[in-house]
Parts: sequence; structure tokens; C-alpha cells
Amino acid sequence: MDLNYTAEDVAFRKQVRTWLEHNMPRQIHNLDERKAWHRRLYEAGYLGMGWPKEYGGQGARPMEQAIVADEMARAGAPAPTNSLGLGIVGPTIVVHGTDAQKRRYLRKILTAEEMWCQLYSEPNAGSDLAALRTRAEDKGDHFLVNGQKIWTSGGATADWGLLLARTDPAVSKHKGISCFLIDMRQPGMDVRPLKQITGSSEFCEVFMTNARVEKENQIGRLGEGWGIAQTTLGYERGGRALARITTYASQYNHLVAAARRLKRNGRPILDDAVARQKLGRIWADLEVERYGALRTLTMLERGEHPGAGGSLTKLSYSEFEKRFMELAEEILGPYGQLTEGVPPEYRLEVDTAVGDHGTWAYAFLWSRAGTIYAGSSEIQKNVIGERILGLPKETRADRVGGAR
Amino acid sequence: MNFSFSEDQVLLKSSVRAALDEQCKPAHVRAMMEDATGYSEALWGEMAKLGWLGLPFAEEQGGAGLGLVELCLVLEEMGRAAYPGPYFASVVLGGLGLQLGGSAAQKEKWLAAIASGQARASAALLEDALDWDPASTTATATKAGDGWRLSGVKRFVPWAHVADVVLVPARGPEGLSLFLVDPRAAGVTLTPMVGIDLANRWSEMRLGEVAVPADARVGPAGGAGPVLEALLRRAAVCASAEMLGAARRCLDMSVGYVKVREQFGQLIGSFQAIRHRCAEMLMEVENSHSAVYYAAWALTAGAEDGGLAASVCKSYVSESARKVCGDSIQVHGGIGFTWEYDLHLYFKRAKALEPLYGDAAHHRELIVRGVTA
Repeated sequence: MDLNYTAEDVAFRKQVRTWLEHNMPRQIHNLDERKAWHRRLYEAGYLGMGWPKEYGGQGARPMEQAIVADEMARAGAPAPTNSLGLGIVGPTIVVHGTDAQKRRYLRKILTAEEMWCQLYSEPNAGSDLAALRTRAEDKGDHFLVNGQKIWTSGGATADWGLLLARTDPAVSKHKGISCFLIDMRQPGMDVRPLKQITGSSEFCEVFMTNARVEKENQIGRLGEGWGIAQTTLGYERGGRALARITTYASQYNHLVAAARRLKRNGRPILDDAVARQKLGRIWADLEVERYGALRTLTMLERGEHPGAGGSLTKLSYSEFEKRFMELAEEILGPYGQLTEGVPPEYRLEVDTAVGDHGTWAYAFLWSRAGTIYAGSSEIQKNVIGERILGLPKETRADRVGGAR
Repeated sequence: MNFSFSEDQVLLKSSVRAALDEQCKPAHVRAMMEDATGYSEALWGEMAKLGWLGLPFAEEQGGAGLGLVELCLVLEEMGRAAYPGPYFASVVLGGLGLQLGGSAAQKEKWLAAIASGQARASAALLEDALDWDPASTTATATKAGDGWRLSGVKRFVPWAHVADVVLVPARGPEGLSLFLVDPRAAGVTLTPMVGIDLANRWSEMRLGEVAVPADARVGPAGGAGPVLEALLRRAAVCASAEMLGAARRCLDMSVGYVKVREQFGQLIGSFQAIRHRCAEMLMEVENSHSAVYYAAWALTAGAEDGGLAASVCKSYVSESARKVCGDSIQVHGGIGFTWEYDLHLYFKRAKALEPLYGDAAHHRELIVRGVTA
């Protein structure tokens, strides 16, 4: 056990920090500027770092990826774009794609020349993703796709989508699903932004009417879609493990600064014993998340995959984030709800998922999403119970019979 | 960066587990609960032979020269077994206290004796007001010839009734100093304080003009503050390790139970109300593991955030161990509330350690002082 960073990692961190000092844009105003920044990051070797070299990656260690993300968080650097492409689609193609698919798609994900979204959830298939109803019919030389998707991040800007669709309604629901790459820019794809409680539209609804998927864009074999989706959902490779904590820590420091200015009963909130207890608890929770991130990185560095352990990590940090933001709101009072006219002392400079300028109010509202997306806390607890603790499966009506 | 145990550490942990599984079964714990002295000399001798009693001491003092990570591995297993005996008192409170503040002669005399099992030590860190801030000490030391006379009342002194030496903070003309006191000396009165964890023993220690010799002072005159602070940090992390072990035992028992217990014609582990609770317990246990071993490493390595990490650890584990052990009674239902079922041994061990060496509230205040300084 040695929790010091190696000399090599320290040197790499310094190199990244210096590069960011010289190259980071102060502000990003639109998608084109964000793509340009994305491209600069890629050219510096800081995107798709863990992907194989022959497809534009760096073959870098997990720790190097974590350090880049961490330094970006520390510097408050704008995020790159194409996050679904980088985080989900690319790794899926690396593992399950054909050579031709890898050559055709991977590099353009890294350069953001092609933007991606993920077409998984449906109005009636959320936590119960395998209940999805979108059909992909085999028409000989292509598949014909009909159905509706929802919660599609980045759907409005996507050129391509990673699609789960039912190809065999006769078999049990987990076995009739296949995985495809679908062109989002074809007629038959109708993308409508979905306005969330934040007032912004990170997500879309996607309606597919007689849309076409070429045969060469099938990923894996027919009926293997569920298994592919399972590995895809497990691709949280720890790249954001440290960066997430660094962002929390920076927000915490802003909160402490506000607690020094704001007063209750004539005294700074920071001098109030109850507030101090709550601030102390949240800092401890934050540190425990950081230690957990170091454990995850240790596993990844050894070439081990956290597997269902990723559910513990996700459950822990997403629930922490809600507690943290609730404390922030408690201390900030109505300042914490402002979306405009925020005095400089109570601003929180966060980069939202669509690249807007964020506020405490946005961060607070967005914290409600973390325990729902990518498998709700309830689903994570089911996974932990079944796959780590080996608890008996619940009796479920949908594990028998055909999908329809 | 490597947050995993070395081969030697894994081996140590599994050998401690095996030894305690064999020699510290629940039946042994229960026997010691009823025993007058409360621990087994035979097992103590065995622990000396296995090198556990000198684990953190230097080799020239009969120790193994290991750090807090190894000590916590042993203590986690002791918590898991609800070990009844003066290990924590002797090795952590007395041993580390002497290691931190003792003179060469004091270390030579006592650490080797603690390591060999011939001597048992402890420390008297609490008084009537239960304030963990050493500055609050009210016991007094007055000069008497070459030595001193100590007076005052100490509470919750672990295993004082079997100790050969107790570290006692007392206030003298030069400020707060630390003294070695023989609990059998004239003027010392020990009264048992019986808590809910019967496998643990506390005494009230009354000092009435107790004469201690010139060589009994540990560390510089008036300079006990930093030594006690360093000792309290280590004790907080070590106690957390023991609570972690108790919590893991409760989790394991719960998972085992819900896989065999049937109600409504089904195994209760298949119900989400039970399964989700077990998943939360595992999350708390794994987070506690991170907190304990990070802090143990940070204090051993002299990392900048060692003190803060100790407070993070104790504040987090105090509450999560209580939650996990308590939830394990809940998922067991009625059987978990009976004396004959073993769950309460571990529940009570975690509870007994929760307020010691600073409870969660104490450490949260230290954290806020640290991060807003």
C-alpha cells in the first residue's frame, strides 16, 4: 500500500497542467468553439487515451487518463464534446466491433467530426431496459427500424446513434435484442429536445419511422444486444474518478467562502455549530469518495475490471452529490436558487452538460439526475445484492415467456 | 499509487483470521464475558508468540517494526471476532503512547515487555467531562521530592484492572505532562465501569496523592499536548479498524441469514426491502474500509493530510458501523434481538468504540477547523 503518486505520474501531471495553462480557452460560446477545443485536446493526446493506438488512441494507463481529467477539473477547463461517443460508443466498438467498423468510426469520434448519441431508454423501458419495443426488421440487405427512444443525451447534435432494438419478439425479452449503429441524419429520424427541470435540454426524444440501418452496421451477432449493453453500461472506467472529486472539492471551497459571508442570528454561518457539523460531515463524505476513487484506480492499473463494484461507486457518489447539494442550498438560501442576477460572491462556475454557464441552482437540480441515469440507485442496489452479495433473485414475471 | 495490500499484509490478515476463528470463537467471547479478569492468558501468550503484541514497535524493542496499516489489519480481525482482552489498551494506547513520547530508557523497559506479553499497558485519557481535548485535563501533578504526586479522577480506562502501567495526563506547574502510573500503587483506586460490551472492560481510576518517581514522566515537562494529540489520532483510526471488523461480521451474518430465512414462501433476501438494505450496508462497509486504510497509511507515511484523514475516518466509521450493525439486527428480526444469537457481540463492540477517541461530532469540528484554516 503506497498512496503516493509515482514520480512518473507527478511528472505527467505537471506536463498536463502546463499544457492546460497555455492552451485552455477562457470561455466557450458555441458548439463550433467546443469542437475546436475538443480537437486541440485530441491532438495533444488527451482524448481517447485508453483506446488502441491503431485507431487514434494512446494506449495510455488508467491513471494517466484520470490525471488528465483531474487536471482539467482543477483548472476549470471546458469539457470536450461527444461525451457519449468517447465514453460509451467508442469503447463498445473497440470491444465488439468489426475491424471495418473500428476503422470507419473510431477516429472520427475522437476528432468530434462525427457526434454520437445512445438510443437505449424508451418511454416504457427505463429501469426495465430489456422491455424495449423499438423494432428492427431484417429486410434482406438492411434493417428497418420503427420505435421511440427517450432520454437521449446529445440527440439534437448527433450524427450517429448506438441503437438497441428488438429483432426477435418471439424469444424471451433479454434474448431478442440486437445492437446497431444508426445514421441520425436520415429521413425517418425525428429528434425533439426534451426540456428538463433544469430548464435546459441535455436530453431528447427520438422518433424512428421506417429508418434504415445497413447490414454492416450491426454490432455483434443478432440477439446479443443485451449482453453488449451490459458491458457498455459497465464502461465507467474510472477516467472521471478523480476529476469528479476535484470538482466537488472546488465547489466545497466556494460554499465555505459563502458561509463566511452569510449570517444567521448575527453570526457568520461558518461560526454556527450546526452548520459546522454539516460541513464537516460533507467534507468527510467527499474524502471517502476520493479514497474510493484511489481504490478503483488501483484496480484499473492492475488490469482488473471493477465489474459490479462499479455499482457501489456509482451509488455512493451519486447519493453523496444529492446530500452535498442539499447542504449547499441550505447554506446559500435563496442565492442557491438563482439562475440569473447572481452576485459574484455566490456564483458557481460550472460547465453544464450542454456547455451552458452553470449556477448552484443548476448543480442542485442536476444532482437529482445522478441517482436516476445510467441505472437508478434502486437498480444499482439490485445489482450489488445479486452480483456481489449473491442474494437470491426476486421472482419476476418477465423472466419467463416471450417478449410480447 | 497502490491502494491494495501487499502479499505480506494479506498473509498477516489471513493468519490473524485463522487464529481468531480457532481460538476466539463466540463461545470464548461469552466465557470471557463472565470471567473475573475478562481475558485468556493462554491466548495472550499465543498472541505474543505470533508477534501481534509487538507489531508496531521497533525490532530492537522486540517488535516487528510494522506500521498502522498492519496494526489495523489485526484490529479489524479483532473487531470481527469481538476479541475480549487488553490488546487495544496495551499495544495501541500504552504502546503507541510510549513510542510517541517515551525516552529511550522507558521504551526499552516497557515496549519489549509489552511485545513479549509480560506487561500490559493502558492510558487514562478521559475525565468526568468526557472532553477529548487534552487541554481540558484537570488531574494534577505536584512536585514531591524528585518525583510527583498525582491526584484526580480518570474514567473509562480500558483494562486498567489487568494493566501493569497506565499513561496518565496530569497538569503540573509547567503545564500538561504525561506520567507512567502503576495502577496497583498506593493511592490508586480502581472501580469497574460495566458497559453493554461485556467483552470490554473499563475502570474508574481515582488518584489520591499517588507518588510517582522521577523517571515516570513521559516526554518533556508541560509538553504532553502534541504526544496526546498524535496518540488520539492513532487510537481513533485503530478503533475505526475494530468497528469496521465488527460491521463486516454483521454484514456477513446478515447476508448468510437472508439467504436461508423464508417468509411468505420465499427467501427474504429476494425481497428488495431486504436486498437494498444489504446493498447499503456493503457500501458503508467498503467506504469504511477506504477510510480506515487511507488514514492508517497517511499517518504511517507522515502524509500532509494524516490528521485530517484520521478525523475523516473516525467520523465516518463511527456512524456507518453503528448503521450497519444496527441494520443487521433489523434484517434478522427477532432472533437478532436475542442474547443467545451472536449478533449483539459485534453490535455492542462497535457501539462501545463509537464515542471513544472522539465521536463523529468531535471529529467533524476538527475537520472544519482543518479545512477552513
